[in-house]
Amino acid sequence: MFQFKWMLGKMKGYRLIYAAALCLSVINQTFFLTGPMIVERIVSIFITDENALENIQTQRDLLIYLCVLMILFVFVRTCMQFLAKMLYEVVSQGVLQKVRNELFERIQNQDMHFFDTHTRGDLVTRLTGDLDMIRHSIAWIIMMVVESLALFLFTIIYFFTIDWIMTLCLLSLTPFIFLVTRMFSKRVGPRYVVLREKLSKLNTKAQENIAANRVVKAFAREEYEKEDFDKYSKDYCEFNQKAAMVWLTFQPYIETLAQGLWVVQMLVGGIFVINGRITMAEYTVFSGLLWTISNAMRNIGMLINDLQRFFASISKIIEVYYSRPDIVNDHNCENRERISGDISFEHVSMSFDGKQVLKDINLDIKDGETVVIMGATGSGKTTLMNLISRFYDATEGNVMVGGKNVKDYEPDLLRSNIGMTTQEVLLFSDTVDGNVAYGKSDLPEEDVVAFTHLASADFVEKMPEGYNTIIGERGVGLSGGQKQRIALARAMAIRPAILILDDTTSALDMETEKEIQNNLTKLDFDCTKLIIAQRTSSARYADRIVILEDGKIKECGTHAELMEKKGYYYSIYALQNGLSEEAV
Amino acid sequence: MARNKYDIDETLETPFNFAHFKRALVYVKKYRARIILALTLSAVSAVVSLLAPLITKEAIDTAIPNGDVWYIVILSVLFLLTIVVSVILGNIRQRIMTKAGQMMIYDIRKDLFAHLQDLPFQYYDDRPQGKILVRVVNYVNNVSDMLTNGIINFILEIFNIIFITIFMFALDARLALVIFAGVPVFVAVMIFLKNKQRRAWQQVSNKNSNQTAYLAESINCIRVTQSFARETENLGIFRRLSTAYRKAWMKAVTVNNFVGFSVDNIRAVVDSGLYFIGLLVIGYPAVSLGTIMSMSNYSSRFWQPIINIASLYNNFINTLAYLERIFETMDEPVTVKDSKDAYELPDIKGEVTFKNVTFAYEEGKNILENVSFTVKPGESVALVGPTGAGKTTIVNLISRFYNINDGAVLIDGHDISRVTLNSLRRQMGIMLQDSFIFSGSIENNIRYGKLDASMEEIRAAAKTVCADDFIMGLEKGYQTEMYEGGSQLSGGQKQLVSFARTLISDPKILILDEATSSIDAKTEKELQKGLNELLKGRTSFIIAHRLSTIKNCDKIMYINNKGITEAGTHDELMAKKGDYYKLYTAQSK
Repeated sequence: MFQFKWMLGKMKGYRLIYAAALCLSVINQTFFLTGPMIVERIVSIFITDENALENIQTQRDLLIYLCVLMILFVFVRTCMQFLAKMLYEVVSQGVLQKVRNELFERIQNQDMHFFDTHTRGDLVTRLTGDLDMIRHSIAWIIMMVVESLALFLFTIIYFFTIDWIMTLCLLSLTPFIFLVTRMFSKRVGPRYVVLREKLSKLNTKAQENIAANRVVKAFAREEYEKEDFDKYSKDYCEFNQKAAMVWLTFQPYIETLAQGLWVVQMLVGGIFVINGRITMAEYTVFSGLLWTISNAMRNIGMLINDLQRFFASISKIIEVYYSRPDIVNDHNCENRERISGDISFEHVSMSFDGKQVLKDINLDIKDGETVVIMGATGSGKTTLMNLISRFYDATEGNVMVGGKNVKDYEPDLLRSNIGMTTQEVLLFSDTVDGNVAYGKSDLPEEDVVAFTHLASADFVEKMPEGYNTIIGERGVGLSGGQKQRIALARAMAIRPAILILDDTTSALDMETEKEIQNNLTKLDFDCTKLIIAQRTSSARYADRIVILEDGKIKECGTHAELMEKKGYYYSIYALQNGLSEEAV
Repeated sequence: MARNKYDIDETLETPFNFAHFKRALVYVKKYRARIILALTLSAVSAVVSLLAPLITKEAIDTAIPNGDVWYIVILSVLFLLTIVVSVILGNIRQRIMTKAGQMMIYDIRKDLFAHLQDLPFQYYDDRPQGKILVRVVNYVNNVSDMLTNGIINFILEIFNIIFITIFMFALDARLALVIFAGVPVFVAVMIFLKNKQRRAWQQVSNKNSNQTAYLAESINCIRVTQSFARETENLGIFRRLSTAYRKAWMKAVTVNNFVGFSVDNIRAVVDSGLYFIGLLVIGYPAVSLGTIMSMSNYSSRFWQPIINIASLYNNFINTLAYLERIFETMDEPVTVKDSKDAYELPDIKGEVTFKNVTFAYEEGKNILENVSFTVKPGESVALVGPTGAGKTTIVNLISRFYNINDGAVLIDGHDISRVTLNSLRRQMGIMLQDSFIFSGSIENNIRYGKLDASMEEIRAAAKTVCADDFIMGLEKGYQTEMYEGGSQLSGGQKQLVSFARTLISDPKILILDEATSSIDAKTEKELQKGLNELLKGRTSFIIAHRLSTIKNCDKIMYINNKGITEAGTHDELMAKKGDYYKLYTAQSK
């Protein structure tokens, strides 16, 4: 029941409206019970009464009055019903949106570890299908429970006032219903948990296929993908059937018990009438209102079914809701003052899943310095950069920025001082303008243009709608080099104290790369530049070059120093300039 | 359609029509036998349940007045029997329909997914991934109930209405007309609401799609968001989108709830009209009191199915908004597809010819104009030139990822637009700029290039691209499960794995598009050795910026100004002192 408690907590601010809606529902149910009485009066006075014909003549006004009353009664009832329904929607949509926003916020604050272990398809499932169960529970399940219960109680109390033995006889079936629904509930619960997993897998598969559509086509693997997807799709559908079958296994018992009430009523009621214990009129009252009890009994099974679905889904939501990232970002930093670009790594080591990626790194970088980091694939270059922005915390040692441990910063303050481009360029399905100004949405138009030029991304101006051209998600539609340049403009546009370029020019031709290197020296703000690169052409003019090997600093120095040293850097340089060694 | 982003609603051009529904019936038809069976069962169970009032009537009219307890007991047993029979029939019906419903959505999803596989790059380039995803999963899930129980109940209710109408008119046409008078009003209300309702539900599906797209993209690009500390602002955007969704929903349900409201009120007016007209206007003896009594019973039996149909109609409109989206995707034209008389491309040697090829992604904006060249089997060709000049475009055209606007691309003399896509692409090995890593083991990631590859082959391919070392260094070697997108690998490592995947497919034509950009120079050098061995006998197209890679190619083509401006060997082009010379010396400076 924790799930309900949690949801009740989320309903704060809506509880009064919800209570009002539930009250309306209950009142509405009494209208349902009393409404037919008007018709009964018309029938009994004007149709079945011995003096019916006379009554029509003498009590015309009463007839008209009753007819009008009936219309009014229905009108009031439907208005209330409409209002109640709308209130349920207001509350359920309100809570739904609130939880959705909160989840979005919390997901955004999760650290990288979370995204490694939760697939995107799964997260999307949680924020769509699972969340929908919140709406369903507020606007439907709880409402149905309250309505059915209210009707049930009204009727039972009324029945007791007529004849308590007869009422007890009718109630004798309820324990069986409870027994059956309990068994059902136990059986079906786990099924829904599994079904929920299957849906998530299906979603993940579809999501990955869409993301990989280019690879699929490149390898002509459409048929394979169809077959693979088919497995998930079939699995999901079959399991859906199985879960439904559990319900259908129990449904006949519940239904028979619910309808069996009529038999009990006829049998016991009939005998009681014969014995003279109750009158024929009372018998009619029982049979007239029995549907309320029978409906309530029938609904129990359905509601239990929905409830189990609700539990399966809401648990998924609560799991995300309460998963706390190791690196907490509260976003409560108002001032985004500029910090100094000094960076130092003090005996920094880093391990992932027990594998050591960085080993005892010591490195001091002064504000305004340009440092190029090179090294073999997997040597830890990107990891080193990720520690500065505190995407991960170092396993050992300290990372200091501006003379202060990165852990002591508000992450927002720290990160808003770092302009970073990632190796895998991620752009947004937004305009070029929106992408460049991503880090600073109030960036003036002329700055967008200026930084685009600094990133040598002039091609933007040739695009059909210039800066207002929408570029696809992941920048599809742009070449690799074009994407990199937009990402570069985006990083520079926040005028950061530290600019980190992770392999940002790898897809660029030499000329453009040169141009960019040149532009980087002409920025209108001071910043420390950290550049991960593969080409020595990028490294030549750096203040310092750091070579990483197996997570350790192998070489460190200027171009001239490292050339002198004739180590890794020298060999790379020779390799890349092999042809023009005579020119060196 | 122009390119779409998260806050742009997808317009739906096709006007409302039942064609969508008819089309959905194609899926229903497959299970016609089951549905007819279910319908029959429902009908039988309806007939059986008609016995119940007869039994209770018998009890009240005969058994109780006579004080015949045994008769009541017998009647009770009979009653119980009818209940059991109708419950069992109903249960069987539900079983049948649940199965049929699940199979239907399975069929729809299968067709939708299959079509998505055939859609060209362009389709995926033009819209956020989340908008596609939501159709494949959420929308399809939403239509099953309508297509199964919805249809059956609809048919049953229609029969109900017809029967009751006949009874009513047989009994008294005048009073029947009174009850019937509500129908035009009801229809008028429904017509008035129809367009509002449809638009409202379309808006809901639009806003839902927007919201999901933004959500999916936010999760995709979380690294960027966090590194720019944009979370607060993005939350604001998401709030806006979720508010838009809520508003659309509220509007749609308001219209929906209005339907039930109208029916109840119309019915109340009609009922009181019945008493008023029956008793006062026509009056006894023109109409007997018993007739009025029966008529008022029929009235509720007549309106109940209409109320049910109204609520089915609500669901129907709602479902239709999803069906429209699903079919819209299925109707998305497959621009790159096998021609009618397409034939299997035989095993190729690898000669590639471009004959006056002109190509534009967007009408009137030619990327390539009149490009012609021939590459002999086994040759290696480097494509160089400024970014965005069209290098990737040229290699994409060889695999026919896009259709050319003019000219022809020939492989071994076969026009590639006339051979089957599968036979063409199967013989190509393309390594894309984005190295995509699937979740699953590294082994399976490499195997994607050749589904029946043995472990030895996989390992050999990995060794060739120098990936074996780092893979063996992982916790479980080749069995290491990759996170989504291979996030535990470095950029270079990802490239190596996808390189191995390309190699194992043993292509005759190999296309390497920036395949080694994130790989360090040393590894690349190693790689080159294995690669040279492998490139023998294969035609290869290489897009790279490192001159060390380019220099060794048999031929270098400089792409600029919508075509090839220079072509030749490294030495030839150096001697020419043109663009290539400038490029080359720029790096060495």
